[in-house]
Amino acid sequence: MELDKLGVVTSFVHNIVVYNIPLLYGTVGEIVVEKSGSLNLGVEGIMAVGAIFGYICGCYANSLGVGIAVAFLAGALCGLLFAALTVSLQANQNITGLTLTTFGLGVYFFVGNGLKAKGWPVMGDYANIKAGFSDLPIPVLSDIPLIGQGLFSHNLLVYLGIFIAFVMWWYLNRTTPGLKLRAVGENPGAADSVGINVKRMKYLHICLGCGIMGIGGYYMGLNMSGSFNSSCWINGYGWIAVALVIFANWNPAFAIIGTFVFGFFNTLRVSGSSLAAAFPGVLGWLAAVPTQLYQALPFLITAIVLVASSVRNKQGSGLPASLGLNYFREER
Amino acid sequence: MKFHIVKRDNCPLWKKCCLYLAAVVIALLLGGALLIALGVDPVAYYTRMFTMGTIGNKIAYKVWINYLKELVPLALVSVALSLAFRMRFWNIGGEGQFILGAIAAAFVAFKTGAGLPNALTLILMCLAAMLTAGIYGLFVAALKVKFGTNETLMTLMLNYVALYVLMFLGETKADWNFFLDAGSARPVFASFTELASFPGIPMGGKFSLNICVILTLVIGILVFVYLKYTKQGYEIAVVGDSAGTARYAGMKVNRIVLRTVFLSAALIGLAAAFKVGTAGILSTSITDDVGWTGIIVAWLSQLNTGVIFVVSALICVLHYGSTVAAATFSQVDSSFANMLQGVILFLVLAADFYTRFKIVPVKKGGK
Repeated sequence: MELDKLGVVTSFVHNIVVYNIPLLYGTVGEIVVEKSGSLNLGVEGIMAVGAIFGYICGCYANSLGVGIAVAFLAGALCGLLFAALTVSLQANQNITGLTLTTFGLGVYFFVGNGLKAKGWPVMGDYANIKAGFSDLPIPVLSDIPLIGQGLFSHNLLVYLGIFIAFVMWWYLNRTTPGLKLRAVGENPGAADSVGINVKRMKYLHICLGCGIMGIGGYYMGLNMSGSFNSSCWINGYGWIAVALVIFANWNPAFAIIGTFVFGFFNTLRVSGSSLAAAFPGVLGWLAAVPTQLYQALPFLITAIVLVASSVRNKQGSGLPASLGLNYFREER
Repeated sequence: MKFHIVKRDNCPLWKKCCLYLAAVVIALLLGGALLIALGVDPVAYYTRMFTMGTIGNKIAYKVWINYLKELVPLALVSVALSLAFRMRFWNIGGEGQFILGAIAAAFVAFKTGAGLPNALTLILMCLAAMLTAGIYGLFVAALKVKFGTNETLMTLMLNYVALYVLMFLGETKADWNFFLDAGSARPVFASFTELASFPGIPMGGKFSLNICVILTLVIGILVFVYLKYTKQGYEIAVVGDSAGTARYAGMKVNRIVLRTVFLSAALIGLAAAFKVGTAGILSTSITDDVGWTGIIVAWLSQLNTGVIFVVSALICVLHYGSTVAAATFSQVDSSFANMLQGVILFLVLAADFYTRFKIVPVKKGGK
């Protein structure tokens, strides 16, 4: 009986990671985009596009690598569209982002439903994908009792996501191009005057960030074992990612912590009742909490963070000063 | 040969119209190419879509009634959002304000509907919805003027808070929860058509015009007059152009922002009351995404009240027509409409560039 309780805790910790890593991809991608001064509200749509093309191409090629590459490229292409409209053609960022969400979900269902009518590729039929997405325990660390299996035994894409988050943190805060990018996001006019190519910086990083989001979408598809039905794989994660960017204070390393905090509530929603059943004395009350509260919490917390950081008058806030504003050189 | 981009002050109207029309035509052609690739006759598909299957249909009046049911909330929400957008206040919280308005309206219907006459209940529903939604919007505006909180992100977060409140009401079976149908074992929203419902005006034949359609048109005209001919409307325009100028001219900018955002959100609440009062029942998808689509409509119309009605009518044709067409052409998923809408908008956004800027070649030798 005691072992079973431990199992519940372990699988709870495991689920926090497995089900919420796409948030990390979406958030890190959006941080890269926002640091260039662009507010992209199309995360949901971009993840959906990355997911559907990544999944289909990955299956047909029977290779996880191809899937990741295609998901990245599909996301980056959406980014290119966003950049062309907002950077070159000076279109409003909010409108372009929202349209990208509508368009992306349209593409997702159009391609998905279209293919489903002809014959949907089932993930189980592709041995390489299945093997590639299975858990790879880290030696030694995964033997730690209670949390070892939960934290250190995951699939390749989990490790990749955390790796990308750290690399992006290093890139933004410790390298010259990263410094230049932050300058563009804070004050593009000043950046331009010291010889930084603002347009190129924006284009590159919008595409890079959107590509990362695309991989996150692909992860969600794989995590659902590729079963395609009437609700989208992304299922609102893109919007939570937009919230998480604020919660993480535009810092990719904090985004990892933020992912686990939001993931904690998300997982309580799904397995709160099994925790309550395993520990009726201490956690029995969990069963009575409405699941909608867990769903609303990420947004509620972010709203509070947003207000709190604006009350403190932006001291130490990572919010890029010119976020959401287009840069028109002749108006400098 | 090098080019550079110059802002242009005013683009002639005919040129604007041509550019936008070209954008729509190119989008339809792209969609048509996709249809051909799927083996569907694009002319037949588009005909079915744009007529919404009314041609040769004996029950065409039903199509029109359903179409107007979709159009009323979208048009009204777009008009409401344009008020806030004119001040460059990015209220993307239409969804959340709509949901709270809908809950408030349903609350009044359940609580007072049995005791009061229909007309009085409806008026109370509208007022409650306007007040609730208005306060939800006002809250964000107050944070914005007091602390400079980013209103785009804040309204976005509050959309989801409102959505999960609605889902909580819709999925929790309890004694206190009068929103649900007591007779059903599963949680289902209760209908209040018996308690309160917006009347239709018979227009000959079987078609009856819902009173909300007329009210929406009247409000549209009122908003147009308000923006164009009143002092408050003028203040909105000045604040939108430059808050600094407005302050210098002695306007109380904060008060103008608070007042306008409240009005904007309250009108969204009214749209919700119209929707709920016509449907006679709540639903977790009560908004039908009007909060999102309304943003796009308002922007496409360049915040021009008259144009908003035209654009929202067209967008509704696109949405409603594609579900009708999907029933006939099984190869084409109804998500085609979302894709087409996206492509149209991308191209319109691109066309918009040429109305605001012009590209001039850099002369050699000269400056």
